[in-house]
Amino acid sequence: MALELVVITKIVPDGSEVFIDPVNLTLNRSLATNVINPADENALELALQVKARYGGRITVLSMTPPFAIPYLEECVGRGADRAILLSDKAVAGSDTYPTSLAIAAAIKHIGKVDIVFAGEKTSDSSTGHVGPGVAEFLDAELASYVSSVEYDDGYVIATREFEEGTEVVRIPTPAVVTVLTNSNNPRKASLRRKIDAIRQGVIVWDLKEVGLPPDAVGLRNSPTIVKRMIPFPRRDRKGEKITTDNIAKLVDVFEQNKLIKGGE
Amino acid sequence: MSEFDVIVVGAGPAGSSAAIKLASEKMNVLLVDRADPPGSKNISGGVLWGNDLEKIVPNWNKMAPVERYITSKGVGFLTKDSSIDVNIKSRKFLQGVTGYSVLRVKFDQFLAKRAESAGAMLVSGVTVENLAFKDGKVIGVVQEGDTITADTVILAEGANPRVAIDSGARRPIADQDVAIGIKEVVKLPEATINERFGLTSKEGFAGEYALGFLEDGVEAGGFLYTNRESISLGVVINMGHLRADDKTYSFDIMDQFTDHPSIASLIENGKLSEYSAHLVVEGGYNSFPKQYGNGYMIVGDAAGLSFSNGLMIQGMNYAIASGILAAETAIEAKKSSDFSEKSLSRYKEKLMESFVAKDAYNFKGIEEVTWGKLAHKIMPSLMEDVLVNMFLTDGTPKKHLTELIRKAMKENNVKSSDLLMEGYKMIRRM
Repeated sequence: MALELVVITKIVPDGSEVFIDPVNLTLNRSLATNVINPADENALELALQVKARYGGRITVLSMTPPFAIPYLEECVGRGADRAILLSDKAVAGSDTYPTSLAIAAAIKHIGKVDIVFAGEKTSDSSTGHVGPGVAEFLDAELASYVSSVEYDDGYVIATREFEEGTEVVRIPTPAVVTVLTNSNNPRKASLRRKIDAIRQGVIVWDLKEVGLPPDAVGLRNSPTIVKRMIPFPRRDRKGEKITTDNIAKLVDVFEQNKLIKGGE
Repeated sequence: MSEFDVIVVGAGPAGSSAAIKLASEKMNVLLVDRADPPGSKNISGGVLWGNDLEKIVPNWNKMAPVERYITSKGVGFLTKDSSIDVNIKSRKFLQGVTGYSVLRVKFDQFLAKRAESAGAMLVSGVTVENLAFKDGKVIGVVQEGDTITADTVILAEGANPRVAIDSGARRPIADQDVAIGIKEVVKLPEATINERFGLTSKEGFAGEYALGFLEDGVEAGGFLYTNRESISLGVVINMGHLRADDKTYSFDIMDQFTDHPSIASLIENGKLSEYSAHLVVEGGYNSFPKQYGNGYMIVGDAAGLSFSNGLMIQGMNYAIASGILAAETAIEAKKSSDFSEKSLSRYKEKLMESFVAKDAYNFKGIEEVTWGKLAHKIMPSLMEDVLVNMFLTDGTPKKHLTELIRKAMKENNVKSSDLLMEGYKMIRRM
């Protein structure tokens, strides 16, 4: 029986182009271009590998405004079978709690799902909440910080990675795995698949479609309150250049800054 | 039957203009760019002259992300210690349409999106690998082993046209076809830029520079133009010279330019926000490659339709114009269902009738002047000597101008015959 695989993704501002507004202390994303959340690219790649090995169908799911459509087409271009955009004005202002609730509702609406793949965290807020939250609302097993996955007759065998080592867990489906950033090399879309993806289009669902009342989500149902934001003090570089013909000076500087220990 | 009427490879000004024109005439177009977002690998060193863009995107200057309207133009002759600048700021620029400074990452994305909203299919982040051939005719493009078919392929790949060259559609690039461009974008507050260049917020300055301070033999020109909150500046260096001389480094020339007192003061306290290097098409009538064939046409920089030799930089306007002409040709070819070399030769005819080729023809051999000794070496040092002596007060009686010139010529080892010869060349070419 073919596996039903879901990859959840968020479109985020490119991290290198986001900065903290020094006056308002809020994140200024206005100058940033958007990208697929980096860890989600690894989640999609892992799902594609699982599909290649065990067969199945991959649905990419995102709860984002419609600007996300080209990014979802990119996911289909890389090999996902279809993309669903959950888009509804009522979700505006949702933090990770109602977001997880709404995504879980959309996954339930897809029907019987075997494995849900999520990035370990998003690059724009880094909470790592949504994958585990979805597992909770789906009443599914969770394996977080996963680098690779095998499937064995109703069970997911997931390798989890930590600083101390790795852990291999065996959990029954339906399961949610959150995938580590940089744990694989995401493939690129091909021209053929991308053309087909654009022609195929993206399925758009609203809350009504997934059977969730508008008053279950949004800012009012978000327990997070941002009290304040504290930027790190800026460290300006001295711009001093030390060339290779002055190695002694270089060693001095390293010693003074305790980067190396002086020897006799 | 082909999947698309036309596939356009490359979403710069040439490719996107072609796609806009084609899509607005209900042609089934695929526009592919290797960068995502489209155009984000594109670089320019000049000002956009928008007369042709107006034909396909009316009122583009009100919608497109433009930086400043160029109301002030300059040519500067830089020597080691001095700069002699000829600047013109004219109200007459406001009556005609002059140029706009644009930041290409934003501008090219705007154009590509216009093509998409006109009905073209836009695919970004995918690199086309080759052309597909059948019976000696181009029938589409190849990517990851798949062939995507089209009646006509328009190659708009820019200065380094890999597909065009690898597929044999155009001859390889020779040293004399290209120069190396280095560009920095330096961020400065809008008010500071206005103050330094004597501009209001919407007005802009664009200047080109002869780098007379460079060691003898090094051929490079400089450019500088104002964006809203940044200054773009850079150098264009002759490729042949760089290859011949392994002691000259392109980045050194860039440093010398940005460190020159009269340039340094313009960018002082600015924050370097971009540093880029790119092949620049030198272009010119004599270096046009073959620009069409069975089932394909080449437009913009990829077709050598550009000028960037020493003192002149022009390209985006030629790119746009050639893109439109290729699109027109593809539309006519579709009407007659004839995509042969002969049918597409209409593109070359249109090009030759247009200002694109006429400019190139009229300025044939201009590189002799713009890369030449007169503009880069003789004029700057002569002018410096004459003008400095004219204005410097050192207690001795003022000398007559002709005497100053003669003295300067002697000190700079310039023979009258050389000056006449170089001067004649310049007048003839310009």
